[in-house]
Parts: sequence; structure tokens; C-alpha cells
Amino acid sequence: MNIAFINGSPKVKDSASGQVLTTLSKRLSLGNEIREYHFLSSQVEAEVLADIADCQVMVFAFPLYVDAIPAHLLNCLCQMETFFKTIHKSDITVYGLVNCGFYESNQNALALEILENWCCHCGLTWGQGMGIGGGGMLSMLAQVPEGKGPNSNFTNSLESFSDHIKKRETWENVYINPNFPRFAYKLAAEAGWRQMVRRNGLKTRDLFTKK
Amino acid sequence: MKLLIHDLTTDAFNSLSLGISEEVKVISDDGTIKNCIGCFGCWIKTPGACILKDHYSDMGELIGKCDEIIVISRCTYGWYSPFIKNVFDRSISYIHPYFVIRNNEMHHKRRYDNQFNLKIYFYGDISNQEMKTAEKMVDANIINLDCKLNKLEFLKDYSSLEGIKL
Repeated sequence: MNIAFINGSPKVKDSASGQVLTTLSKRLSLGNEIREYHFLSSQVEAEVLADIADCQVMVFAFPLYVDAIPAHLLNCLCQMETFFKTIHKSDITVYGLVNCGFYESNQNALALEILENWCCHCGLTWGQGMGIGGGGMLSMLAQVPEGKGPNSNFTNSLESFSDHIKKRETWENVYINPNFPRFAYKLAAEAGWRQMVRRNGLKTRDLFTKK
Repeated sequence: MKLLIHDLTTDAFNSLSLGISEEVKVISDDGTIKNCIGCFGCWIKTPGACILKDHYSDMGELIGKCDEIIVISRCTYGWYSPFIKNVFDRSISYIHPYFVIRNNEMHHKRRYDNQFNLKIYFYGDISNQEMKTAEKMVDANIINLDCKLNKLEFLKDYSSLEGIKL
């Protein structure tokens, strides 16, 4: 089976979405051809569209931007809709993994619903979505053994999610919060912002600048 | 100040003959908008302003100084069209990187003190499912941006807006 992995993060490297797809690919690489694409701009090349249309499964991974899908990826989806309507191809099952910086994974639910609505427009089959909370931690936890520590909920949930992809099954969406208390996540994130602003030669109070 | 953010072509927008008062600043698609690149530079490099240089770099500041935002958008799978979404993606300097708990959920702290009213006019061929998505999106968005919903309308065609006063 050909599986298209579409990374919808606008970050060139070190994106949480890329980390999610890397972790998922380990569970799908046996017996499947995984084709990886990174949508960094708002345009998809014609040959990429044709390549994706040759797949039986599409897996999108992207960050939550202002409650929904990042604009550049939305533009790509509009372009893909036109393409899929032109070629009258519908035997593709679509899965989505959305991560957000907020702790609560269910804040990704509506972005997944928008992706499901897109499937309806294209005539494609919706498979399943996964909402991932605490996305800011994902790339930092890349070295933590799978199934252990703060990301164990995430890696354990990928087992059933990848099984559904292998069988091209449709399931209810799943939502994964970090194995980490919310207050501690909040404190760690805010300490991180202070550290980053100081690294840029600014002071903590500059985080509060009003123009 | 009021912000009117729309995705209509210049001809389509002019054909509406909207009654726009002097306090309204119009944000439209001039074809130059860049996509947010997820760098968080607007929080940690040039706090309060986007580092990408185009006509939309100061969206956070503009929202911080307005008391009403009016959106005219093609409904796209149940939410904003790519251009309108891009304007909001480029506006995250309006909020602060720190978190607060609002509605028992984690959201971003305010950077500015204003609480704007939001009016949204969606147009296009909108399915019932997409209307439901849009209604839920509005509920989520007003909590996230800590603003107030003033109006949400679904229109078959943007021409129904002809002559309204803003």
C-alpha cells in the first residue's frame, strides 16, 4: 500500500508534526511504501499531486494555528480539492494528526472536523483523527524511549491508530493529553519563553511589549 | 477603530457600496501576504510585531487597538478562507506567549487590554455540516481570543451585503 505522509508544519526543521510522522512511520514502514511530503508553502506542485493521488492513504500532520488549520496548508487543501474533483479519484482514506501547544488535546477537535469536511468536498473517505495536546513537548521528548515518560499516552495510542491505517478503517477520533500535570507544563512553557527571549538579547519584560 | 477584514476582489468589494465610516480600516488581499512560518519571532525577537516584512506585519498591533472586527469570508470547509485565516495566523502577536486557564482550558494570556466585538459574514455554498463547524469554531475562537461575538451570518452570496453600514 502507498501511504502519503503530509507534514503541514511551516517549520523547515524540528517540527512537532515531523516528529509525530517519524514516530508513526516506524509502525507502518513494513510492507508499505511511505511517501513523504512537506508542505512549506501554499502551493503544491502538479507532480506531487499526481504522486499523492497514486496513494491509498493520506496522513496529514500539522500544528493547530488559531484554533484551525494553518493558512498555507488550507490553501494547499483548496488546490487538492480542485485536483481530486478533476481526476474523479475517491479511493483514498484520509487520517489526520493535529498537535497544539495547549495542554488539552480536544482543542484540536475542530481542526480535524475541518479536515473531515474537506474530505467530503473531495469525495475522499475520512479515516480517523488524533488530537495531541502539549505539542510543545513532543520534539523535546524525541530521545525518551517510546511508551515511557511524558509522551507514553501518545506513543501507546499510535499503536491502534497505525493498525486502523493499515486496514484503512474508519474510527472515532482520539485525543491524547501529555502524561504530565497541566500546571507543570504551563510553568515549563513559560520558563522556556523567558529563556528564548533572553537568548535574543532581550529582557523578560520585553515579552510584554505593547506597540 | 474598527477592522474590516475581507477576501473579496477589489471589484466585488467596490460593487457592495458599503457604508464605511472613517474609523474603519480595511484589510484586503493585495496578493503579497506571506504565510506565518511558526518562528514565534513576534513573541521572542520583535515582541508585538511579526518579523515577516509585508503589508500585514502589524496585524497584532491593529487588533490591539480596535474595538470591533468585521470579517467577510468565503466559508471554507467550515471556517475562514485561506486569506482571512492567514491574516489571523499573522496576528498572534496580539496575544502573549504565557498561558492562562480560561473556561477550564489553557489559552494565551492577553497582551492588550481591549476586548473587541467580532462580526462574521460567511458567504458561499455552505453545507449544514459546515455551518455547524463554523458555529463551534466561533465559540472556540471567542474564548481563545477573549473577544465577544456580535454577529454571525451565513449568506448564499456576498452581494447580500450591498449597502450595509459598517
